[in-house]
Amino acid sequence: MGKYLKVLGISFQQEFAYKLNFIMWRVRNVMQVLVFFFLWSSVFQNPDANYFGYNKEKIIAYAFLLIFVRAITMSSRSVDVAGIISNGELSNLLLKPINFFKYWITRDISSKFLNIIFSFVEITFLFLILKPEIFIQTNFINIMLFVASLLIASLIFFSIAMLTSFVPFWIPEISWGAQFLVIVIFVEFLSGAFFPLDVFPTLVQNILKFTPFPYLVFVPIQTYLGSQNIHLNLLSLGIGAMWAVILLFITKMVWQKGLKVYEAVGR
Amino acid sequence: MKKAIVVSHLIKNFEILEKGTGFKNSFASLLHPKKRIITAVNDLSFTIQEGELVGFIGPNGAGKTTTLKTLSGLLYPTSGFVSVMDFNPWEKSPDFLKQISLVMGQKNQLWWDLPAMESFELNKEIYEISNKEFEKNLNELVSLLGVSQFLQTQVRKLSLGQRMKMELIAALIYKPKVLFLDEPTIGLDLIAQQNLRDFIYQYNKKYNATIILTSHNMKDLIDLTRRVIVINDGRLIFDGALEDLTLKFAQDKLIKAKLSDEIDIKRLEEIGMVKKFEYPELIISVPRSTVAIAASELLQNYPISDLTIEELPIEEVISTVFKQSKGF
Repeated sequence: MGKYLKVLGISFQQEFAYKLNFIMWRVRNVMQVLVFFFLWSSVFQNPDANYFGYNKEKIIAYAFLLIFVRAITMSSRSVDVAGIISNGELSNLLLKPINFFKYWITRDISSKFLNIIFSFVEITFLFLILKPEIFIQTNFINIMLFVASLLIASLIFFSIAMLTSFVPFWIPEISWGAQFLVIVIFVEFLSGAFFPLDVFPTLVQNILKFTPFPYLVFVPIQTYLGSQNIHLNLLSLGIGAMWAVILLFITKMVWQKGLKVYEAVGR
Repeated sequence: MKKAIVVSHLIKNFEILEKGTGFKNSFASLLHPKKRIITAVNDLSFTIQEGELVGFIGPNGAGKTTTLKTLSGLLYPTSGFVSVMDFNPWEKSPDFLKQISLVMGQKNQLWWDLPAMESFELNKEIYEISNKEFEKNLNELVSLLGVSQFLQTQVRKLSLGQRMKMELIAALIYKPKVLFLDEPTIGLDLIAQQNLRDFIYQYNKKYNATIILTSHNMKDLIDLTRRVIVINDGRLIFDGALEDLTLKFAQDKLIKAKLSDEIDIKRLEEIGMVKKFEYPELIISVPRSTVAIAASELLQNYPISDLTIEELPIEEVISTVFKQSKGF
């Protein structure tokens, strides 16, 4: 346990060593939410309007939640794994008596922790400037389910980041290409980070429910907003958890296969 | 005596993608990738006893580093058997990893943006060393390498040599029982090289540590190792005492003489091959079997004030070995 605490500590220091990088990353996150906010504010100019089951209050809550949910599920250090496999730095980790996955989960936790703190500051700041009417969930069960859904989302994101990071085991030249494609295009687009998934036609929505993507952003936010009944929430949670287990299992298998072809180049 | 390292019929193949140079060829290789299998280690076998300090010699690309990486569990052997301290390195059991260290001249495990001390403390936790052990080992290593004033400096601000020394500290802070040292003196100044050699020597004696050392710096090998393993193109060509390497592969010996008067160099060619003649110094290379006759002939017929018979320098022997083994 002590070793992972030390990893956590050193991870924080590392993040602080790249202050500007971190700030840029936060700016990017806030910008995305601002775009979302202004777009939907104009759609809901009439306060009584109701599209796709959202009124103005809920869509703004969605925007603010987006900052928070993204900070938890999508901030991660494990996306760096692609680079260290491709340049051979992975060898350093393999030589140490430390569990690879626990190591990266610890590093992710440090990143998530910092991002959560910043997201609170940003939410407060944006709240003071934009003065929106916002929906506060008070039902304890919804809040608990929301927390569980965030945990599941983080695990799904972790395995997606890992799986895409393992591509360089076989194709060392692709250290970030695969990740860019999967994370930016699929994950962001299909997870609800750009718009609520309700805007898709019902057929597409139903198909999406069987992919892991909605469980990253859309499902946690829905759970918070309580837009579905508890049974549906539990069902979504169940499917999300199933995806997390499946993906983590695949991740472990691919990792073991990858190690066999790992060439420990460069160093 | 316990066997610390066993390598038996080890083969390691790599698949490489051939890339043409230039735009046209690069594009062609994108469409039709040409794959080629290279055999980095080819049927290699040797055993090393606990406490032995062995030199591992071979030209660039001979398979030295590949072997060390396989021994430390980084590479999966294509075939063959490998065991280190009775562990299968590939399984990467924590008890195995705590006993070994792979030090490579160009490896860096230090956290680039933080002071080296942070990386040492991280290793303290990872290798589960007690505070007392840690302090003791750290002080020993720091004073040996003379880097106490740089412990709190960001690693990226250190010079290459200083960084190398820090890497060594990080690699040895947990007192591993088996060391794989791949070019450990690379980038170090002469004093640090000597210090490190002394340290390796003492480390081996004091802890009965098993050490494999690769180096292109012959001084490292002469000072430290009794036994050497020579490989070329992934194959073993010699395994034995450093002196025997010379006996086996150096057919010639050198006669070094000091002349007291000018002589005709042409006539010397009858005795042996003149390697150097700068009055008054003379070096002749003669076959090992006739060295005594050659020496007495020189002493009788030439104005010589001093004469010694020496083995060829080890560098020369080794380069002969590599050239001879190219034919395999």
